[in-house]
Amino acid sequence: MRVLMLVWPTLRAMDVPTQWEGLLDRLDDLSPRIEALEEGVALVDVTGLEPIHGSERRVAARAVALAGMYPVRVGIGDNRWLASLAVRLARPGEIGNGAEARAACLILPAGEGRATLAPMPIGLLPTDQAVRDRFSLFGLTTMGQLAGLPRSAVAAQFGEAGERLQALARGEDPRPLVPRRRPERLATSARFEPPAEGVTEITLALRRAATALTDRLGGRHLAPGRAVLSLEREAASPLSVHLALPEPSTDPDWITRLLLARLEAQVRGSAGGEDEARITGLTLTLDRLTNPAARQLPAFEPQAGRWEELRWSVERIGARFGEGRLWRVVVDRPTAALPERQARLVEIGHEAGTHP
Amino acid sequence: MTLPAVQPLPEVLDALRERGLRRGVTPLPGEMVVPAVPTGHAALDEALATGGWPRGALAVLDAAPGHGATSLALDSAAASQAAGGLVAWIDLAGTFDPALAARRGVQLEWLLLVRPADGAEALELAAWLARSRLLDLLVLDLDGPSVPRFERLAALLPRSDATALLIGPSALRQAAGRVAGIRLRLERRAWLAVGGDLVGLRTSASVTRHRWALTGGHTELDLYFGEGRRIDPLIPALAIPERRSDEHLELPAEQPALVVLSA
Repeated sequence: MRVLMLVWPTLRAMDVPTQWEGLLDRLDDLSPRIEALEEGVALVDVTGLEPIHGSERRVAARAVALAGMYPVRVGIGDNRWLASLAVRLARPGEIGNGAEARAACLILPAGEGRATLAPMPIGLLPTDQAVRDRFSLFGLTTMGQLAGLPRSAVAAQFGEAGERLQALARGEDPRPLVPRRRPERLATSARFEPPAEGVTEITLALRRAATALTDRLGGRHLAPGRAVLSLEREAASPLSVHLALPEPSTDPDWITRLLLARLEAQVRGSAGGEDEARITGLTLTLDRLTNPAARQLPAFEPQAGRWEELRWSVERIGARFGEGRLWRVVVDRPTAALPERQARLVEIGHEAGTHP
Repeated sequence: MTLPAVQPLPEVLDALRERGLRRGVTPLPGEMVVPAVPTGHAALDEALATGGWPRGALAVLDAAPGHGATSLALDSAAASQAAGGLVAWIDLAGTFDPALAARRGVQLEWLLLVRPADGAEALELAAWLARSRLLDLLVLDLDGPSVPRFERLAALLPRSDATALLIGPSALRQAAGRVAGIRLRLERRAWLAVGGDLVGLRTSASVTRHRWALTGGHTELDLYFGEGRRIDPLIPALAIPERRSDEHLELPAEQPALVVLSA
C-alpha cells in the first residue's frame, strides 16, 4: 500500500470545520479512500493511481493542487508511519514547477522503508524522552541499530512499547487506513414567481420542501442533524440560516418551525430595509445524517423522553427570546462543604457533556 | 299560575356534562382522567377535593413572606417529579436556591429554570412552555413593581394539562386572583423546632377559591426546612403555650422532641 499524508499547518491552528469538510470533498477527486485523522491532517490511499495520474510526484503535485490556498506539507510512504515521517522531513521544491513547488514534499521509495530509515536518528520515533534516554544508555542512536536487534531482546528490555518502536524502526506499521464515509447531503429548491413578500409567505413552500426531504430519509431510517435554509432575495444579499437540530429528527413540522423562528430572529436583527426584500427562491439542505435517536431511556426514566421533546420547544424559545433565559442546574460537586458550591447553573444550549 | 317542572339534580348535571359545561371532577363514562398534580401533602390534596392541583389551573398561593408559599411550591415540584412529571421554575427575582430545592426533594436534573427579563416576559415564557404540553407544573416565582396581565396564561393553561403556581407579592396575587382557578391562603401558625433548632413551620391552608370543587377546604401543613422532612415521622410533636408576637422566642435547649411554638 502507498499512503499520502497531507498536513495543513495553518488550518490546524484555525477553527474552520466547514472549510475542512470542503477540502476533504475536493480530495475525493484524487482517491476514494481518504481518512481524516484530525482537522488539518488527512491520509490518502494512493495505491495504484499511476495509470491515472502518472508518477507519485505527479500524484503529490495533484494533491497539492487540490489542497486549496493554505500551505500544505505532503509525504508519501508505504504505510501511515512512513507517510507521517515523510511529512516531517519534507522540504519545498521537490514537486512541480509552479505553485506546487512551494509545498514541502518528500516521497519515500516503495519497499525500501527499513533501508531508508536505517541511518535516521532514533529520536524521530514517536516516543517520550525517558525511552529515548534509555535508548542512548544502550548506545542506540540510529533506527537501523534498533531495527537490527533481536525482537525478543528488545521486548525483554523495553516491553511491548519497545517492540512497537522496533517495528516502526524497521518501517513496519500494521495500522490500516480507515476511509471516511463521505457526508451525505440532501437538498431541494423552490422558486417564487412572483417573489414572496416576506418570511410568512414562504412557510408552506418550506414545509413542503422539508416534508419531501424527510420522507426520503425516513424510508432509509435516517434523520438529519442539521438543516440549512438559504434564501435568494430581490435586491438584497442572500440569507442563510444554519440550524443544528436538538436531536436527529424526521419531523418536518418541527424543522420548519425552528427554521422559521431562527429566520424571523435573523430578519429582525438585520439592517434596516433588508428585511423588506422580496424572496425569489429558497434552498433547504439537510445533512449530518444519522440513525434517529434511540428511545429506550424513557423506559427507565419517565422524564427523559419528555425532556428530549421539550428541547425542541426550548430551541424555539431560545430563538424567540434570545440567550440567558433557560437554565438547568448541574450538581457537579455534591460533596462540597458549602451548599452553594455543590451546584451551578448552566444555560441550556451552552452546556457541554452535562446532559443526564 | 303553574310552576315550571322541577328537574332532578342528577339529570341537570348529566345535561350540563353533555353540553360541555362540566365544572365538577366526575369523569364522563369512558373518559380518561389525567390525574391532578400532587401538592406533596396528602392533607392538602384532600382539602382541595381534587386529589392535588387540578390540571390547567392557575393556582395562587396567598401568603406573606415567611408563611410557606415557596416551601409548598418546592414540595409540589418534588411530588410532581416523583410522579414522573417535568417542572419549570420561572425565577424572576433570581432567588432560586438549588441546594434548598434539592434538600426538599426536587430532582434538579429534570427542572427547567427560567430567568425572564421582566414580569410580562415571564408570563409569555410560561405560555410558550405550557403550549409544549410537556410540563406538569409551572411555578411562577414573580417579583418586581410591574403587574403583568394573567388573562392569556389563564386561558391557555386548560388546554395544556399543566398547572401554574403563583407566588409573589400582594399586588401580583391580587391581579392574578381575578382569573385564578384556585386561591390558597397560607398563614403561619407555629414554628417547629427540635431541641434548639428551628426545623420548619406549621401553616394553615385555606381554599378561598376553587373553580373545580367547593371552596372552604382547610388543613394544616407542617413544612420542614430541608433536612427536617426526615425528622417528622420519628419524633412526636409537642405544643408550646401561645406567646405574644413581640415576645422573645426562647427555644428549649434540652428538649429532644419536636416542639411546636406559636408564631
